[in-house]
Amino acid sequence: MSAVLDFAKRPLVVAMVLIVALLFVGNVLSPGFASSQQIMRLLIVAALLGIVAAGQNLVILGGREGIDLSVGGVVSLSAIVAGNLMSGSDAGIPLAILACVATGAFFGLLNGLGVTLLRIPPLVMTLGMLGVLQGLLVVIRQGIPSGRAAPALSQFVTQPLLFGLPGIIWLWIVIGIVMAFLLARTVYGHRIYAIGSNEQAAWMAGVPVRVIRVSLFVLSGVFAAIAGMCLLGYSGSSFANVGEQYMLPSIIAVVFGGTSLAGGKGAYTGTMAGAVMLTVLQSILTTVNIDESGRQMIFGATLLVLMLFYGRGRAMRA
Amino acid sequence: MSKLKISGVTKVYGATAALSHGDLEVDAGEVHVLIGSNGSGKSTLCKIVAGSVKPDSGTVVLDGKEVVIPGPQGAKALGIGIFYQELSLAGHRTVEENICLPDLPMRGPFVDRTALSERAARYIALFDGVTGDGFAPDVTVDALRPDQRQLVEIMKALATEASVLIFDEPTSALDRAQAERFFDILRRLKGDGRAMIFISHRMDEIFAIGDRVTVLRDGRTIGTMRIDETEPQAVVRMMVGDEPALAAEAAPTPIVDATAKTTDVALSVRGFSGQGFSNVDFEARKGEILGFGGLHGQGQSAVLRALFGALPVSAGNVELSGNAHAPSSPRAAIRAGLAYVSGDRGRDGVIQGRPILENVTPIHYLRDRLFLARPSALREKAKPAMDALNTRFAGFSHPIGSLSGGNQQKIVIARWLIDRPGVLLLDDPTKGIDLSAKADLFSLIRRLASEGLAILLYSSEDAELLSNADRILVFNGGSVTRELTGETRTRFNLYEAAYEAV
Amino acid sequence: MVDAVSQPVRRPGALKRVLERFPFLPVLIIFVALLALNGLYQPRSVSLVGLTGLVKTYLALVLLAVAQTYVVYAGDIDLSAGAIVSLVNVVIVSVMAYLGDGTFSVLGAMVIGLLVGLACGIVNGVVVAVFRLQAIVATFATSIFFTGVALYVMPVAGTPAPATFWRTYGGRILEIPFVFWLAIVLAAILYMLARTRLAMQLLAVGDDAQGAYQSGLPVTAIRMRGYAMCGLFAALAAFCVTGDTASGDPLVGGAMTLNSVAAVVLGGTALAGGFGTVVGSVFGALSIGLISSVVYFIGVPSEWQNLARGAAILLALMAGVLVGRRMRS
Repeated sequence: MSAVLDFAKRPLVVAMVLIVALLFVGNVLSPGFASSQQIMRLLIVAALLGIVAAGQNLVILGGREGIDLSVGGVVSLSAIVAGNLMSGSDAGIPLAILACVATGAFFGLLNGLGVTLLRIPPLVMTLGMLGVLQGLLVVIRQGIPSGRAAPALSQFVTQPLLFGLPGIIWLWIVIGIVMAFLLARTVYGHRIYAIGSNEQAAWMAGVPVRVIRVSLFVLSGVFAAIAGMCLLGYSGSSFANVGEQYMLPSIIAVVFGGTSLAGGKGAYTGTMAGAVMLTVLQSILTTVNIDESGRQMIFGATLLVLMLFYGRGRAMRA
Repeated sequence: MSKLKISGVTKVYGATAALSHGDLEVDAGEVHVLIGSNGSGKSTLCKIVAGSVKPDSGTVVLDGKEVVIPGPQGAKALGIGIFYQELSLAGHRTVEENICLPDLPMRGPFVDRTALSERAARYIALFDGVTGDGFAPDVTVDALRPDQRQLVEIMKALATEASVLIFDEPTSALDRAQAERFFDILRRLKGDGRAMIFISHRMDEIFAIGDRVTVLRDGRTIGTMRIDETEPQAVVRMMVGDEPALAAEAAPTPIVDATAKTTDVALSVRGFSGQGFSNVDFEARKGEILGFGGLHGQGQSAVLRALFGALPVSAGNVELSGNAHAPSSPRAAIRAGLAYVSGDRGRDGVIQGRPILENVTPIHYLRDRLFLARPSALREKAKPAMDALNTRFAGFSHPIGSLSGGNQQKIVIARWLIDRPGVLLLDDPTKGIDLSAKADLFSLIRRLASEGLAILLYSSEDAELLSNADRILVFNGGSVTRELTGETRTRFNLYEAAYEAV
Repeated sequence: MVDAVSQPVRRPGALKRVLERFPFLPVLIIFVALLALNGLYQPRSVSLVGLTGLVKTYLALVLLAVAQTYVVYAGDIDLSAGAIVSLVNVVIVSVMAYLGDGTFSVLGAMVIGLLVGLACGIVNGVVVAVFRLQAIVATFATSIFFTGVALYVMPVAGTPAPATFWRTYGGRILEIPFVFWLAIVLAAILYMLARTRLAMQLLAVGDDAQGAYQSGLPVTAIRMRGYAMCGLFAALAAFCVTGDTASGDPLVGGAMTLNSVAAVVLGGTALAGGFGTVVGSVFGALSIGLISSVVYFIGVPSEWQNLARGAAILLALMAGVLVGRRMRS
């Protein structure tokens, strides 16, 4: 019995149950909501959020108030860089991939160095970096006509590739498997948990704390850049600040996936479920016939209620 | 009638019972000593009275009336004040602000700074002359030394003017003059008719200040005695119960076996200086257990941590088996074959919330330069190390938090044994672990030494040092002032060297 | 055994003590330097007219930074501060539009606005302190909720504020710009608030919440009061926004949230709690304003201005954190 209870309390299980419940509610409110075609669309949108959340998840797992507020800026920047380099032609894809990954890695590196070498709190560092990225967006958009996605990229994101699933879903699955393997079965993964759980003990056990923390921010930038490219493929052309919508939701997806904001505890499988849950919730609210104000109120209130299921802080009096 | 009577109080955290049956009766005008080994439930009992821990069952009777203590604020209203072992100070606030924080004097809507300073000054004046350099009412607490912070916490407790005062290890960082002053204050408060609960590990203090003593063991109240009708040995017997005495202590003193020992020097340290220690010289041979003795905080820990690269070194030469070693970081030290076990396992050792496997393998990862973590292979590697320490655990995938303190420390030690180090640095490794775990640890250490490891052992318990070390370096004021070998390794010599003025 | 501590005595340096008392010194230096730069490139910007414009535009951010400071004192954060500004803005504009242009209408609307701000603060306090949700995600959720309410009150931006309101805000009393009177009143209020029990209690909670609780402080209530103060000051910020923009906009405050956090950090207040001043946040907010105008006056091409501003703020944040730490240790 207690084993069943323990199982039912696991964040992943909670998220799964909630997803199914939400799909059910959505289908009642708007018949056809849970059709396979609709679910596919939902998964594509969820994959975009989920890929951003992968990096966010790593940074948060690494502890010491790890958080990356600059992911939204990197997503936008990457979408614009990719759009400008492709300008609607498949030939530009390899260069665009290279440039995007390099861009994400570069800004992640700056974040990581600021956090480790200068010991700037991650919230402050990445908040400042967000401002820089937003400024850079204006500069890059200036003069160059807004780029368009290469047809192959759009196809990859929106059209079925294998077994009826589009490429981006496969990409997300691969990322999920890689992340799960990385965190559970590699020394690097164990070291991430170690520094997130007890940095001092990890350091005393010879873990290169700074190098690992920098690498987490770099990975966060890279994941956001990949998501930015995919977002370009999804929407066809890049436009201002498309990435901003991912900044805080990526953190919420991580929290809904059962990762503690204190670090050292959680896994990416939960985050994937969290991303799907968040997407389904948003999608229900856009489907039902209420105006924007009601939608936002319900969304905010639902988020609060859902948060009650997850890691609440310790009571002062034990 | 007792001022305070606690009966049948229990507190369970998850699977472990911190307190399974706590009884305590305190009279007005007495200092009631609470004693018991680590984890016996003393602090839990105190916190229940002070309202910061909620009991699962049991009753608290104050002045003959049963009361429910709703929280620290409620306890304060009932006239209960407490000194917390872990301190409850706000680091960025000043000394006087901290003293008055629980009950700030107000004038209208504003804090009355003048009244605040005056009130704080009354309590600071109690310790006039022993507060030490740098202590002032307007200094922030995080700029103070540990002993000074402890004084502030004492003043804060006194400022509650509560009729029941609880002191949970208030003297652990105080020097003799400060402690004496504190006892004077306690005696005066006794005269005022206050009821006081006092926790200390030092028998001399207990017998100097206490009126009655209550002994706790494994979360249960064992009994209460009048101090003037008992003696230290009787108290210790009650604390220890039927458990065998420390195995290592019972064992004959180690015989220096000339054949097993080599004369090879494993570690040589010359002119070693840094924060908290200066000009330390010594050599440790393979197969030798070299003890570091003396009072707390005389540089023993600092030397060990500095050797391990965890503290900066300002001068000196270190050679490991004849090769120069510059301790730059723990990572480099581990690669050079050093191992370090800290007594503060919560801070330096245990990776909380993670499985046992992840807690036992980090050193192996580094020394074998692994990339993949294959659980089956790792389990096989770790098993012998865990068995060597008689570690009791359900499975490698269980979280380390499910183990007792002693078993957690065994896991932390086992991580160093998968790949054999050259020199083992033990920095008060038995702090807060139970007797059987201590016995397991010391029998392992002796075996490791006989296999050719050089071991540096600092212990805050002199008995452990005397019965396990082949040679003892006595630290005083950050330097080695005496070396005790062979016949000279006696408690008397150790104390004499430790207490002599430098 | 007696602990004869052998550590050398750490006598806090004079500079450290000054900084413990006035942690806003670094930001004050940054502020003066920026002011000098402004004056150098555009002497008129430091004239009475120029400064009036600066205060008029940035008083809202100043107030929001002050609001944010009270929660950061206790180690919390409020990502809904900007949404509260939006909500109060549309509420008072709607109320004034309903009651008509007049002193009574304006004052009534402001009372209602303060109550709305207070209510929002209490909601945040409940979810963070009582329900013990993570402040960063919980206040993000409430920000969505507050924005929803603001959109309900005023679905599209553009309802004008009555002339009495913005004319007063932009006008003069006794030849002195109204905003300067506001600044003086604000300074007096902040001075008094700094002497209340709440400020010290919030800081004590931020230092060590468990310790504060064990000392008998009502930690949950104190954190709630911090959020309530934040809501009230966010409402005051909304009044300034309304005076400056002269209209209602349900999304007007959204972008201000992160700037308020930046201003607090720039002002030398520790995000972890327990240390800081509202004065620092005031100058932090003004410095953010000055950075924008320096970038403009220095002649940065328009498309590069955002980048220059972002980079300058990042550098200022980093410098603030580093200098503050260096000077304190």
